[in-house]
Amino acid sequence: MNSWVVMIPVVLLLSCLLLAVSSRMLHLIRMVALQGVLLGILPLVISGSIEFSHWQAAAVNLAVKGVLLPYLLLRAMKKAQIQRELEPLIGYSFSAVVVLIFSGVGFWIATQLPGLPQQGTLIAAAAFTALLTGLFIVAARKKALTQVIGFLIFENGITLFGLGLMRHHSMIVELGILLDVFVLVFIMGITVCQINREFSHIDADKLRSLGDADENQEEKA
Amino acid sequence: MIVAVLMLLPFLAALAMWLLRGRLCRSILIPAALIQAVLAARLLGCGEVMLQLGGVKFGSTAGDIGKWVLMITSVLFVLVSLQLPAWLTADGKAGKVRHGETGMPGYLLATLVLVFVGTMNLTALARDFGMLWVAVEATTLASAPLINFHRSKSSLEAMWKYLLLCSLGIGLALFGTMLLSAGLPAGAALDFDAVTAVDPQWFKAAFIFCFAGYGLKTGLAPFHSWLPDAHSEAPAPVSALLSGSLLNCALIGLLRIRDAAPEKLLGFCNGFFICFGMLSLVIAACFIIKQKDFKRMLAYSSVEHMGLIALMFGFMLPEAAKIHMLFHSMCKMMLFLIAGNLVLAYGVRRVDAVRGAFSRFKRNGKLWLPGVLLLCGVVPSPLFFTEWALVQRAGLLTGGIVLLLLLVIFCAMSDIVLKMSMGDADEPELPEIDAAAEKLTVIPALTMVLVMGSGLWFCAQVFLSLIN
Repeated sequence: MNSWVVMIPVVLLLSCLLLAVSSRMLHLIRMVALQGVLLGILPLVISGSIEFSHWQAAAVNLAVKGVLLPYLLLRAMKKAQIQRELEPLIGYSFSAVVVLIFSGVGFWIATQLPGLPQQGTLIAAAAFTALLTGLFIVAARKKALTQVIGFLIFENGITLFGLGLMRHHSMIVELGILLDVFVLVFIMGITVCQINREFSHIDADKLRSLGDADENQEEKA
Repeated sequence: MIVAVLMLLPFLAALAMWLLRGRLCRSILIPAALIQAVLAARLLGCGEVMLQLGGVKFGSTAGDIGKWVLMITSVLFVLVSLQLPAWLTADGKAGKVRHGETGMPGYLLATLVLVFVGTMNLTALARDFGMLWVAVEATTLASAPLINFHRSKSSLEAMWKYLLLCSLGIGLALFGTMLLSAGLPAGAALDFDAVTAVDPQWFKAAFIFCFAGYGLKTGLAPFHSWLPDAHSEAPAPVSALLSGSLLNCALIGLLRIRDAAPEKLLGFCNGFFICFGMLSLVIAACFIIKQKDFKRMLAYSSVEHMGLIALMFGFMLPEAAKIHMLFHSMCKMMLFLIAGNLVLAYGVRRVDAVRGAFSRFKRNGKLWLPGVLLLCGVVPSPLFFTEWALVQRAGLLTGGIVLLLLLVIFCAMSDIVLKMSMGDADEPELPEIDAAAEKLTVIPALTMVLVMGSGLWFCAQVFLSLIN
């Protein structure tokens, strides 16, 4: 069992790296699904228990993060007919370097934290890396759908950090958080399709008709 | 019992509204709002009321900020629910004439408004940091589709920014909540009463992340960039709720985390409130000057007032802050409703397109100018007294800067509003829509009477204390 506790954060770290360098939407969605599945089984592996309530929580987590959310993303991808992120704001090789730096920072912060439980350091490092990678992808990619994926990676990082601390919220709160994330991705999926229909693209960086500075620019033009 | 009803009532009403597809819109919306207001008023008079639900507590204690915000939300909900059906009819008519289409179906708007109010009730009643986070994120989810009511490109853009930025921001607050739980002894709950035993180092980190997260939702500068977009693109009744109620609810998050502070870190936390409050005032003043869109002007004024409220809490003036929250919410709701009427009549939100509102509209024009003056704290506005208390407490330098910024904002807003009110009126292109907009002034007028009445009562109190 113990080797699994080491394996899962390492795989999550690697998945962050892959997420930062791949341009194919399908690939990104598969990676996020993998992260969801790993997050679902991690609590079972950590506690090593076969209690029914733990299995229940893991099953709900797996179902939402490993199956439902990727399904919603896939549906949005097909409806908006988007295959690849072709022109990212920050190139893929540079993105890889950035994520490597993030993981370095993540390990540094994790070792500084006082009072983490055993195995917590590795998990916390993976969590910080995922958190920063998620934020980076939201900022460095143009497509609205990729930004949704970035948000999910960010959220996965937070969940992972919570797991690493081995503190449990009550069941209602856990379910509430899952429900919020699910509804958010659901609404965002619909919005991606609407943006695609209205603007005939889903490049979020072209969404800038609003704002104070831009009005002046328009007038000058 | 009260707590359970307050939590469930809006959701049940929303379900009924959705199932009936908008038949009986009024007879669901208005009674739900009235029942909620009565219950909120009762809760305000109660001491400690708690409800345990699966290990999570809901409720309020004596003197709690949560039930005060719940009361404000309920008052606004009653007024907006009275306005909403008539506004929907008028907006549908205007949309058909102008673009040949209407926005999202009216029943859907009403349903989402009810869900939105329900999530705000949850925020006010949550007694646990985890549940608080869930509820605040839920308010984002319920209100985001409302912003896209008119389904235009710009409203879609505003909705996207709102969803993405607020969710990321609130994500930071979740991270802060996790840090908070890390600083607690093992097995401790995240109850508001239980977290006082938190380790100071962990608390500092947790506070910074929670402040960034909930501060973004509150619209404090420099995290405010989504706010003017969302509040200006939303339909009038929704803007009223967003500005009047939602910002207060997000502020609850900030106050809850501050109240959990260990005693020696209270000064550290108040410093954050003061710094970001001040920054919000500065940013709001910069962007209100020469503002070209009158709904954005009101949105930036919300940033200003949230900054003022944060300053009041930072300077330990909770009573003044509470009064400021109430009357800011009422003024802002009234002004957003009037601004909505002007948008109905003119079809645009540009300041330079509106001329001579004073002579063209018998009622809207005459409410618009005094409304803005009340918002700026001109006597007899109750806001004058709270701002006075703040300036007095803040000391010479800070108080002076606050006064100066308030003066700048007052001048800039009066300039814009006077330009809109004065001059010769254009002939209305659609007289029937002008007439409909005039009919929508009952609720704003009622609100103005309430605000002015309270202001005069405050004046009388001050006058009496001077005499004695």
